[in-house]
Amino acid sequence: MFSAIDISTSALVAQQVRMTAISGNLANLTTTRNEAGELKPYQKRHVVFETDESIGTGGAAGVKVASILLDDSPPRLRWDPGHPDAIREGPHAGYVAYPAIDMMTEFTDALAVARAYEANLGAIEIAKDLAQQTLRILI
Amino acid sequence: MFDAIVQSTSIPVLEQVVRFSQARHTVLAGNLANLHTPGYRVRDLSVEDFQARLREAIAARQAAPAATPPSMAWSSPGLWGSSAQLAENSPGLATAPPGTAQPGASTRPTIPLAEVAQNSKSIVYHDDSNIAAEQQITEMVKNQLQHNLAVALLASQFRLLQTAISERV
Amino acid sequence: MNPISPSSGMRIALSAWDAAGANPAQSPETQFKDFLVRSLAEVNAMQHEADRAVEQLATGGDISPAEVLTAVQKADLAFKMMLQIRNKLVQAYQEVQNIRV
Repeated sequence: MFSAIDISTSALVAQQVRMTAISGNLANLTTTRNEAGELKPYQKRHVVFETDESIGTGGAAGVKVASILLDDSPPRLRWDPGHPDAIREGPHAGYVAYPAIDMMTEFTDALAVARAYEANLGAIEIAKDLAQQTLRILI
Repeated sequence: MFDAIVQSTSIPVLEQVVRFSQARHTVLAGNLANLHTPGYRVRDLSVEDFQARLREAIAARQAAPAATPPSMAWSSPGLWGSSAQLAENSPGLATAPPGTAQPGASTRPTIPLAEVAQNSKSIVYHDDSNIAAEQQITEMVKNQLQHNLAVALLASQFRLLQTAISERV
Repeated sequence: MNPISPSSGMRIALSAWDAAGANPAQSPETQFKDFLVRSLAEVNAMQHEADRAVEQLATGGDISPAEVLTAVQKADLAFKMMLQIRNKLVQAYQEVQNIRV
């Protein structure tokens, strides 16, 4: 019975990690430099989930974060030769390289995360109710 | 001696139902946890299987003392839902469409709307998973109702035994 | 509208006994004994019926939870009433035993 709560908790944790990644993506929507100060735009983080057989019992399985991948899509280029971070030479001279992050995609992902989080919270509520009802066998 | 008394009530049957409901909740919670896991296939415990085996056990129990003839020959889809996925690797939930989930009805869809419902349960999404949250939540709630009903009946049976033992109404 | 009084309660019980098929040709002891035995059989039958209803529900028969719950509750109440009657009988017997001759 309590392994059901463990399973749902693993889902909550995983969704929380994904939400953090989405928040990071949204925060760095226009970050042109990375943490070392080099002229590399922020790369979008993808969170990949994986079934975690070690959590559940009797055929059920939880979920864990398998990896956090960096997106290697080409950056969005915007013509702005006056910008301090504009590319100096090469075929894209005069363009600024912004992260390849689409706000709408991130918001939709965030909605999906919220829905999954709520669904798993509901599952925990039901598990709690089952356990409490079982106590009523004792009269 | 007390064991024989308990066996003659419906307490063992209800006990099995409660245990099955709890195990099935764990599996369904696992499905919800893997809502966004790519490549995940929905798992479930087969309700029909459980009910068929319960039926056999009841018939076997009644054949021994031969008290009253078993009055059950129910082969209809269960009152509690129509999910019947047996193995985790089968390509989708093989269920009776909700529009025709009445006892005695065949599992062939008889109304056009039911046909669509059947297909939506085995859609494989672009990330190679076939899980739909609404279906899982519905099954979970139905399972919860069955569990609570069985627990309430179990409690009332125990209370009745206690009344008989204490002779105090 | 008759107010509820002990005598009207007695009338209700007697009419129930008549309805249960009391045969006036028999002597009063056998009438009452038959009545008791019949009632016990009825209570037992109701318990069995409730058990069957529960089994039907558990194995997926076409019975609704409401039917099962009412069957179980009826069986419970019938049993408790029989138990109460039995207690009263035992009490009456003990009272008779305590009569000093």
